[in-house]
Amino acid sequence: MTDPQTLPQHWLQNVHRYWDTDKVAVRQKEFGIWQRFTWRQEYEQVKDFSLGLVDLGLRKGDRVAIIGDNSREYLWGALAVMAAGAAVVGMFTDVRPNEIEYIVTHSDARFVLASDQEQCDKLLDIKDKLPDVKHVIYWDDRGMWNYNEPWLLDFTQVQALGRVVAEQNPQRFDECIAEGQGSDLAMICYTSGTTGLPKGVMIAHSNFLYSATALSKIDPRYPTDNYVSFIPMAWIGGAVLDIAPHTVEGVILNFTEGPETVQQNIREIAPDALLYNSRLWENLVATIQVRIQDSIWIYKQLYRLFLPIGYKIADLRFEKKPVPLHLKLLYQLGKWAIFEPLLSQFGLHRARSTYTSGAALSPDVIRFFAALGLALRQVYGATELTGGAVAHRADDIKFESVGKPIPGAAMQISESGEIYLTSPGLFQGYHKNPEATAKSIYVDDTGKKWFKTGDAGYIDEDGHLIYLDRMKDMIELATGEKYSPQFIEGRLKFSPYISHAMTIGGQDKEYVSALITIDFDNVGHWAERHGIAYTTYTDLSQKPEVYELVRKDVENVNRSLPKAARVRKFVLMHKAFDADEGEMTRTRKLRRLVLQDRYREIVDALYQNLSEVQIKGVVKYQDGREAFIDTSLRIAALEETT
Amino acid sequence: MNTSPVQLDVDSVSLNFGRVQALSDVTFQVRQGEIVAIIGPNGAGKTSLLNCINGFYRPSAGRIVFDGQNLADVPPHRIASLGIARTFQNIALYTGLSTLDNLMAARHIHMRSGMLDCIIYWGRSHREDLQHREVVEEIIDFLEIEHIRKAVVGSLPHGLRKRVELGRALALEPRILLLDEPMTGMNVEEKEDMARFILDIHERRGVTTVLIEHDMGLVMDIADRIVVLDFGIKIAEGTPEQIKNDPAVIQAYLGTDLQV
Repeated sequence: MTDPQTLPQHWLQNVHRYWDTDKVAVRQKEFGIWQRFTWRQEYEQVKDFSLGLVDLGLRKGDRVAIIGDNSREYLWGALAVMAAGAAVVGMFTDVRPNEIEYIVTHSDARFVLASDQEQCDKLLDIKDKLPDVKHVIYWDDRGMWNYNEPWLLDFTQVQALGRVVAEQNPQRFDECIAEGQGSDLAMICYTSGTTGLPKGVMIAHSNFLYSATALSKIDPRYPTDNYVSFIPMAWIGGAVLDIAPHTVEGVILNFTEGPETVQQNIREIAPDALLYNSRLWENLVATIQVRIQDSIWIYKQLYRLFLPIGYKIADLRFEKKPVPLHLKLLYQLGKWAIFEPLLSQFGLHRARSTYTSGAALSPDVIRFFAALGLALRQVYGATELTGGAVAHRADDIKFESVGKPIPGAAMQISESGEIYLTSPGLFQGYHKNPEATAKSIYVDDTGKKWFKTGDAGYIDEDGHLIYLDRMKDMIELATGEKYSPQFIEGRLKFSPYISHAMTIGGQDKEYVSALITIDFDNVGHWAERHGIAYTTYTDLSQKPEVYELVRKDVENVNRSLPKAARVRKFVLMHKAFDADEGEMTRTRKLRRLVLQDRYREIVDALYQNLSEVQIKGVVKYQDGREAFIDTSLRIAALEETT
Repeated sequence: MNTSPVQLDVDSVSLNFGRVQALSDVTFQVRQGEIVAIIGPNGAGKTSLLNCINGFYRPSAGRIVFDGQNLADVPPHRIASLGIARTFQNIALYTGLSTLDNLMAARHIHMRSGMLDCIIYWGRSHREDLQHREVVEEIIDFLEIEHIRKAVVGSLPHGLRKRVELGRALALEPRILLLDEPMTGMNVEEKEDMARFILDIHERRGVTTVLIEHDMGLVMDIADRIVVLDFGIKIAEGTPEQIKNDPAVIQAYLGTDLQV
């Protein structure tokens, strides 16, 4: 056989490799037991289903839509579809019937695989509008025992049809797979269009294979690896982390009992690789701290003893300094005594590669896990690049960046500050939408195609990519330069001394400034420790020492910003922003217009040559009383550092 | 119309506590595989009726026949092994045990191993334990409570405890299921889930079900027949459609117009 070009060809190679072994291909927890399926069993399952679909009329180049939680049938269904030369169209389980209608019709899907009654009912609702769908195939028959609808077929019914085909023509399945080419379409991922209708991103097998091999160059996967499949496979990240490593490297996929049991099941499996979103990592910090508080005396002591050593080593590594041998030895002891047992409580003790996605994680969280021995890495990419294109290397993590391009990928920043990416994972275009495709692609002088991400960012002196924000959320200054309020405010809030920050800028402003409210508890403790007497929030906020304290953190944030976007002046507010006064929403989002209007005198002062501003106003206390306030606030100016 | 044989025959049952007449001369029948709802205002005697059926109370008059056997002849502790299982209005689980243990405890009526066997826990008793665990795991899967399998019941929210209690009743492998207000204190989504489970149990396992429930919308949706009690007297019986339009029922629930 020539070199495999498609996912099913890689998969078949693994099937042959493990044919006579009892190596596990997938596990799924059912009835309280991890049920195991070997490669040979998986082969039979996929073969029967694939031939069944072919028997029902699936042809090379067709599309099949799938809705459902991750499970072995989802995987086998997807492999069977690809083996038959067709492409998979994934949908999230919470799609509404009208969205199903759009995606299924737009992608010309011939079949829909729908996990259970909930999804089948949605499809039955819109059956009349889907004349081209030959059958809907389900694998969980709960509640559908009395359905009498020939349009619906059970997964095993299709497999029975396939077995008949296999008996007549035993070579048929392998031949189907052999016909596949790298340029064949493997998947269409519909992106949840925030504006307009969702667009179908066409991903070829070659895209997938590039993505899988490039990632494993910087973060190798092994056939003995365990992975818990819980990230929706309809999302490109799910497909790249589950299906690709399984088919290409033979990684064992473990399917959970259900969405509610993911955490428990991860603990039981202790996977070698893991991607959580940043919110989950943050929650985990709190959970770990609570567990330690609740544990017995000896564990608490061990934790107190070894955590500082973990932090010391983590900081040395972040600064890329050598770690002295005695620290290494001590750390090994700590790992054995407390860190590994602690991590095993969450199934993290075997995790070799841990990734984070979503909003930026605060350095505190990254340092905490680094101290425990987990290097959390950012990945940045897009569906249009078949997942990640920029990622941290385990030994080169910068808090503020999302990493460097993975092997084979490249990035550049356009004149307007937009991130352009390219790699062999670059998609084949939007399905039936050449206009949008053309708009999203930039062709450079050498004819190379780049994907316009729509994200703003810049490349720092170490060659790391810093992601700022969506382009459309950037705000332009009078100088024509842009900055991201979200980015700056988010980073400022990482400081324990800052509770909220609102940046000010716009086309009538020359530079960025900020209104900052201090965290009364943390700053108060700090002041007590340093012998600074204070009375009220207002009093504390106006202490020169507090200004100095906050200034350091603002400067820190400035260092990770392009020059034009740096905060040049700030004021520490005399009171916290308050939802009762309409300054924030109940979900604690800033009401920018209200704040700008209310503190107009402060905002104006920030753009004049003043060192303080006099304010008078009414403050409403939480008990409903009102007080008149008359005070002056300092304005801190930061030097233009280079 | 269900033409299966009668499984439960409540025949002129009366129950009094001193001079309080809780039930007077209540008669109705439940056929195999039916879902029958008992409704009525507070204090109508619904729970007392269930208590008579599963032997908590002895009727003062009348008789209750289950599968041809007069329940008056059966001591209360033997009633469960006839295949009558129930859940309670105020949830009666072992709050200190896990979900799994609560369900396993319900399997005791099907266990044969003696104390000695269990101490040795080898061979027959070990095999038996595994068999029962399998039955219990199927119920856990059926009721979608995998995520709380090992959780202590006392720490669970109300809606889930209700589901565990239903699971325990199912673990008895009953022929008739008595559910006392299975959906009280639940939100709309939990209620819908519970209704789905009751229908699934009915469809999949064919278990006869008698339930007391206040949520009229749900009762009308899932019950084959409805029995209405008021002050211990059966005032109506029929299909949901008939009950909806029955003047006696409307009067019991809404009162009569005052003539001024």
